[in-house]
Parts: sequence; C-alpha cells; structure tokens
Amino acid sequence: MDHKGILAALVGELTKLPGIGRKTAQRLAFHILKQPDEDATRLADAIRAVKERLGLCRQCRNIAEGDLCGICQDPKRDQTRVVVVEEVPTLHAIEATGGYKGLYHVLAGALSPLDGVGPADIKAQDLVDRVAGSAVEEVIVATSPTIEGEATAIYLSRLIAPLGIRISRIALGVPVGMDLEYADEVTLLKSLDGRREIA
Amino acid sequence: MGLSKTPAIVLKSRKWGDADRIVTFFTLKHGKVRGVARGARRMKSRFGSALEPFVHCDLDLFEKQGDSLYRISQASIRQSFYTLRDSLETITGAARLANLAGAVTADGDAVPRVFHALLEGFRAIGQSEDAATTAALYELEILRFAGYLPHLERCNSCQSTATDRWFFSPRAGGTLCGPCARHEPVRCALISPASLAFFRQALRMDPALLPRLKATAPVREELRDAIELYVDYVAGRSLPKSGVLFAAERRSTYRRTPSPVASGNANRV
Repeated sequence: MDHKGILAALVGELTKLPGIGRKTAQRLAFHILKQPDEDATRLADAIRAVKERLGLCRQCRNIAEGDLCGICQDPKRDQTRVVVVEEVPTLHAIEATGGYKGLYHVLAGALSPLDGVGPADIKAQDLVDRVAGSAVEEVIVATSPTIEGEATAIYLSRLIAPLGIRISRIALGVPVGMDLEYADEVTLLKSLDGRREIA
Repeated sequence: MGLSKTPAIVLKSRKWGDADRIVTFFTLKHGKVRGVARGARRMKSRFGSALEPFVHCDLDLFEKQGDSLYRISQASIRQSFYTLRDSLETITGAARLANLAGAVTADGDAVPRVFHALLEGFRAIGQSEDAATTAALYELEILRFAGYLPHLERCNSCQSTATDRWFFSPRAGGTLCGPCARHEPVRCALISPASLAFFRQALRMDPALLPRLKATAPVREELRDAIELYVDYVAGRSLPKSGVLFAAERRSTYRRTPSPVASGNANRV
C-alpha cells in the first residue's frame, strides 16, 4: 500500500464515525499525520483500550471495566431505587448532577410503534427479572418525553406494577431559566399536571 | 419554493446529528415532505413539542436549492393530540395511521382528503374505547382517498356473488370466492359473513360516524387482520403491526390484564 492508500484507509475509517463527512475526515487525517508521534500513538492506544478493556455491566448494562460497573459494585449506593434510562449517555447526565445515589438500568433503546421496535428489542424483561424478588422498592422511569419514551414508560408500568414495586416517572415541564410565555402548550399542560404543593 | 407556510401533521421524527431532528410531515399543500429542524433536541429549542409525532401544526418551511431536505424555520401547534400518548393502544393506533399515510402517498403529492382523514382518525382514536378497531376503520378511509378502496360486493376474479366462504385478497384489492382464492399467489384472509357485512357497512358509512360502529371480538380480529394484510400489500412493505407493543407482554408471566389486541387469524389458502 503506497502513501495515498494508507491515508485513504484512515480517511475511510474516520468517515464511518457519526457526523464525520469526507472533508472533515480528510482534515482529521492530515491533522493526525502532522501530530507528534506520541500524540497519535496515545489516540490509537485510547481507541484500543476502549475496545479491549470496556464492556457492558452484567447487571445494569452501563459501561464497565469487568463484569460489573462501578455503580453496581458500590455498596454505598441506595439498593432500593433503580432509575431506568434509554441509553448510557443519559445515565452519565443524571450521574453528573450528583443528586441521585441509587442504581440504574439501561434499556438499550425505546419502544417505537412507528418503527416497529417492540418489547423484545429492548432490555425490559431483564429489568423485570432483576427487580422481582430483590431489595428494589422503587423503579424511576427516566425515558425521554418523546412518543418512544412515553410508550416505553407505559409498557414498563404494566410490567412492574404487578410486582408490588412502586413505579414513578420523572417530572415533565418547563426547564429552569425559561420564560413561561415561550413554553408550548403541551409543556405547559404537563407542568400544570405535575404541579406540587409548596406550603 | 422558497419560504412556504402550510398546515402539517408530523408523521415521524428521528434524531440527526448532535441536537437536530429530521421530521417527516404530511402537509396540506405539499403532501409528504421531510425537513431538518436545527437544534430541535436542545432543552430550550424554539420548536418545543411541535415536532413530536401526531402533532397538527402550522409549519414554515424553507426550500434550499439542491437540497432534498427542507429547513424547518418555525412550527406552532394547532392541536397536539397529546392524549394519544396516554395508552399503548392509542399510540399504536395513531402510529398505524401515520405510517400508512406516509407509505401510500408520494413525496410532494398533496392529497388533502388523506390529510383530513388522518386528522379525523387521530381525533376518533383519542375518544375511542377500542383504539385498534377505530384505527383500522380510518386506515380504510386513508386507503379510500389514496385510491385503494377495497371492493367487497362480489368475487373480484370471477364476479360471483355466492360462495360458501369469502376471502379477502390484498392482491385483488377485495373479496374472492373460495375457489378463486385457492389460486391466489399471495396470502388471503378468511372473512366470515358477519365480518364481511361489517366491512361493507364501514365502507358505506359517513366517515364521521365510523367511531359509532360496534363489533364483536372475532369480527374486530378478522377486520384488523384483513386490513393489515391489505395495507402491507399496498405499502409494498410490512408496516409495524397493531400488536407491536404487546407481543412480549402477552408472553410475560407478570401480565395483569389480557391484551386488547388479538393475534391475527388469517388462513392461508
């Protein structure tokens, strides 16, 4: 393979990344070419380490180095609550708040009647098997307020409620810092539905 | 086209890039169109919930030359149909109508009667006690206005009006008698006399009165099965079924109530 072929191979691999077109891939490839050797090697090592050392937690399907993730291994976490999320980035967003100390469950997707994604395509039954007969007292559904997220929340409530475990949904409404006059009607209706007493 | 304003119904919305959405609309003026909504997934997006599926909105579209995707510059809600999200039955019923309207119409082909049938269908499903059957009846309405009205008065092959068993053939676009159905190359659905009478009545009725139609469980099952078979044939692909969200629930040992959507009972001829 000559130098053009080597560069084309790198551009081809970069183009496979989400949001990277051919021009951007070429720019990144030339940047890597111009980088000091140690920087490019660190990048290659980091990619290799992610693929070789990281996997999914056996219990919650968070990213883990080993069989269980750090959250599932931590005995200080509240074992009676499980937050259910669609994907791992949502788990990290909730974790970044520092306000939740319970466990998680990643569904790896959401039900979609528009696209034909059914219960067998997500990890809903894994959640039921996990919480049935465990110390879990509450399942908090933190799926997105989209049609897919809502369908998933209703479906989970049908599965979990018969187990005698409390199932709740994260609050929906106006974001902090927003002027109410700019909120759309659905958001306002949901925020009125989910109002709480302040005194 | 430049800038265009039109009433629209959101058929589908999917994530695109870091914070954008690509949305498929059925518009009153331009039929089915796709557009990109920049920043639609951000917390403080100006679109709010206006780009969620089933929303009826006023849309501002901008056509960029050489780009097949429109730019969505504004969307304001006319009717959110938010109550459709309250149960799996209404979500799947509305999804069936949205998928069908998208599948049987061509891009850019305005069909106002399909637009209005879709809106009426959403309203009826939201008020129905049997969302799956109501959705099936409005699927017939959309098929009718898209030019695929089923013919149920006689055998669509030999023109016979008398037979011991009637079948619905998606390929023939209507009923076939037993002997003709045996030669059909595609799967047909067996239709009982009661189901056929109900089916014919549904096609003769004023669409506004469709939600008043009541049927027994076996008739509802046969009707839904025949319509799903026909819809898949007309669409040229298998659309998500009305039972898509209930399959695993039926198997679950934790299920409390019977699934309202029954499995199909079409017989292969």
